[in-house]
Amino acid sequence: MKGVVFNLLEEAVLREFGPETWEDLLDDADVSGAYTSLGNYSDDEIVALVEAAAAKLGMTNGEVLRWFGERAMPLLRERYPALFANHSSARSFILSVNNIIHPEVRKLYSGASCPFFHFRESGRTVTMGYESSRKMCDLAHGFVKGAATIFCEEVDIVHHTCMNQGADKCVMEMQWAN
Amino acid sequence: MGQLMNTDPVSDPIAELNLKILKLERRLQRERTARLQAEAIAEKGLSDLYEKQRQLELLKAIATKANQSASVDDALRFAVEAICGHTGWQIGNVYMLAGDDAQCLLSTPIWHADDPDRLTEFVAMTQRMKFERGHGLPGRVLDTGAAVRICDVTQDPDFQRGDAAKACDLHAAFAFPVLVGDEVLAVMEFFSRSSLEPDEPLLAVMGQIGTHLGRVMERKRAEDKLIYDASHDPLTGLPNRLLFTDRLDRAVGAHKRRPELGFAVLFIDLDRFKLVNDSLGHAAGDALLIEIAGRLSAVLAQAEKAEGCGVLPTLARLGGDEFTILLEELTSGSTAIEIAERLQAALRRPLTIEGQDVYTSASIGIASSDAGYSSAAEIMRDADLAMYRAKSEGRARIEVFDQSLHKAAMRRLSLESDLRGALRKQEFVLYYQPIVALDGGDIVGFEALVRWRRGSEQLVPPAEFIALAEETGLIVFIGNWVMREAFATLAAWQTAHPRSVPLTMSVNVSPRQFRQPDFVEQVIAAVKESGARPDTIRLEITEGVTIQDADQAIGILQQLRAFGVRVSIDDFGTGYSSLSYLHQLPFDTLKIDRSFVNALQEKSDGNRIIQTILDLAKNLKMDVVAEGAETEHHVDQLRKMGCRFAQGYYFSRPVDYAAATALLRQP
Repeated sequence: MKGVVFNLLEEAVLREFGPETWEDLLDDADVSGAYTSLGNYSDDEIVALVEAAAAKLGMTNGEVLRWFGERAMPLLRERYPALFANHSSARSFILSVNNIIHPEVRKLYSGASCPFFHFRESGRTVTMGYESSRKMCDLAHGFVKGAATIFCEEVDIVHHTCMNQGADKCVMEMQWAN
Repeated sequence: MGQLMNTDPVSDPIAELNLKILKLERRLQRERTARLQAEAIAEKGLSDLYEKQRQLELLKAIATKANQSASVDDALRFAVEAICGHTGWQIGNVYMLAGDDAQCLLSTPIWHADDPDRLTEFVAMTQRMKFERGHGLPGRVLDTGAAVRICDVTQDPDFQRGDAAKACDLHAAFAFPVLVGDEVLAVMEFFSRSSLEPDEPLLAVMGQIGTHLGRVMERKRAEDKLIYDASHDPLTGLPNRLLFTDRLDRAVGAHKRRPELGFAVLFIDLDRFKLVNDSLGHAAGDALLIEIAGRLSAVLAQAEKAEGCGVLPTLARLGGDEFTILLEELTSGSTAIEIAERLQAALRRPLTIEGQDVYTSASIGIASSDAGYSSAAEIMRDADLAMYRAKSEGRARIEVFDQSLHKAAMRRLSLESDLRGALRKQEFVLYYQPIVALDGGDIVGFEALVRWRRGSEQLVPPAEFIALAEETGLIVFIGNWVMREAFATLAAWQTAHPRSVPLTMSVNVSPRQFRQPDFVEQVIAAVKESGARPDTIRLEITEGVTIQDADQAIGILQQLRAFGVRVSIDDFGTGYSSLSYLHQLPFDTLKIDRSFVNALQEKSDGNRIIQTILDLAKNLKMDVVAEGAETEHHVDQLRKMGCRFAQGYYFSRPVDYAAATALLRQP
């Protein structure tokens, strides 16, 4: 996992719960805590941090990831405004992930293994297929929610199948209000 | 706060710790800020590096393709696609210069679109476009030689495809030149849906791509020129022998596959071209060839366009004054002859070269696919043979090859081979024809004439082998032998039959023999060896020999006369010699051609011509010998007109040594 993800998580935790909480999480998860955005760190560390946060906040791992995804989106916009500049809706922003966002990510972090999302559009609904050994569909869920918030939209997300539930891939349906 | 101010910070450990924590937090914040800045700088560097690397890869891919491409189109097509792929631009296409004047760009079929179905309208419109220098996006690139960028083509008044662009949701445009030096050879144009930010590094890469592609085009141009030069005649710009033979080879092959479509080869030889070249100079000769090439081309262009029976012609210049034409897709056997006639008609009008009217004509030999040729060489050989026949049958003729010509050629080949052995085998013999004084009928001398006793008993007349001997150069040896033999005979006769005015001996000198650098020495040696008196020797030279280089001819004639031998101008009136320099040439005797003498009985014109020649000779103080006196009437007429000497069947046909000696013994 890229260091930038740890940085975002740290930022989100700092803003909402303060530095002590982050220090506690690092201790609980037994991780080094020294992350630079350009570095590459073991996926286990993010998993450990998520688990520590879940334990500390009384949430499930999935809930922590959704929370993180949602909070991370405005932080991403602060950090990479250009990625948002050409979009007037969350939907077009989300649909640009494979073709624009991830290629940009690869520019910065060579060798980044970004997941590929399968999109199917139908009216106000976008169905998103996700397949990754990291099984972080909840993070994607949070990102979508966060993006909707940025563009002042409301979106409902239903998980039809989920790798965390034993499915071989995740299928989420996003439905926009209005 | 007031309390805090009063408290001694040093003495209060808690306050001291708080202060320390505050400082540490500030330091942490600074470190954090510095780290984020460092990360941002590193990210920017990585991002730029990544872009740079991709641009280099693009450039490398295009450069590699440019070096390997078989064609310019291939390289350009690859580049357009690669650039679209690299930049994400939706569509790219290439314009090339129309014609050589570099004033106008035409769209080419070289284009790429990431989603052609959505861009159909724009592609179709672009394909029809033509841009003058300075107008429209490509025209501006052509004019300035620099890249041009348009933020939104739908808002640009100079952009002619605005509506189509709008319909296809294209906005930003970018175009750059394919350059060789400062010369724009092509323009590449790209469009994007989203806006294009000015990107200096990318602009530089496009510039380099333009240069690479320019090199490909330049290389192709140089290649094309090399191939063109190797396959064309530099003087007339016509295909040369190499290209002609290649096309003929293909025609032979095509005829085998489709026998219903015939082809023919025309061999054209300009009559009298050498005369123009020799008399007016090489520059005039070149001008004549260019003019003739133009006339022949015009006739062929017409034949190509002809309704219903359009042929596919290839006109080539093989060298010198030899032109060849390949006519393909012939549906009728007579078409080639009709075209040959039109070609001759086109040459009939005089050509003006350096202010002078020059008349020329062409001898044309034709060989056609009807004979079932299996190689270009065969058909060329036969067309050549037919042309030679046309020439020898009297110029300005058309001759179609048939098998008799082939047999004649074979005969000629065997003749040549035998002729080479004839000298060694001593097969040549001399015959002598007396020259008679018309006043009194005495024999004053003989003309020595060579005959060839070929094989056992066949006596070959000179008409059948002299031309071949001249062509092969054997004439030099034969001529030398003739001189020595004739002079020896003369010396013997002079001894055996002494007279107050000694007998003379006339010997014909061939053009080639005359041009030998040591010709004068050869004559002197032959005369000295024989013991005959030089002033009894007459060397007969045709007019044509002297015309090629009059100054040189005068020099040789003067040397001969200085030695003492006399020179005659042979066959007078049949060549092209100009009266203007006849008086400059130091001839002693003028021989009236037999054709004028033969005409004596038919019409009075003959008389007038002979009278004129006699008057001319008298004024130039030259003796005259009339040839071909066959009847008493001839002899009477000649005598009446004041001609003093004649030879011909009336007196005696050429006879061998023994018979000639017998004639001398007669009273």
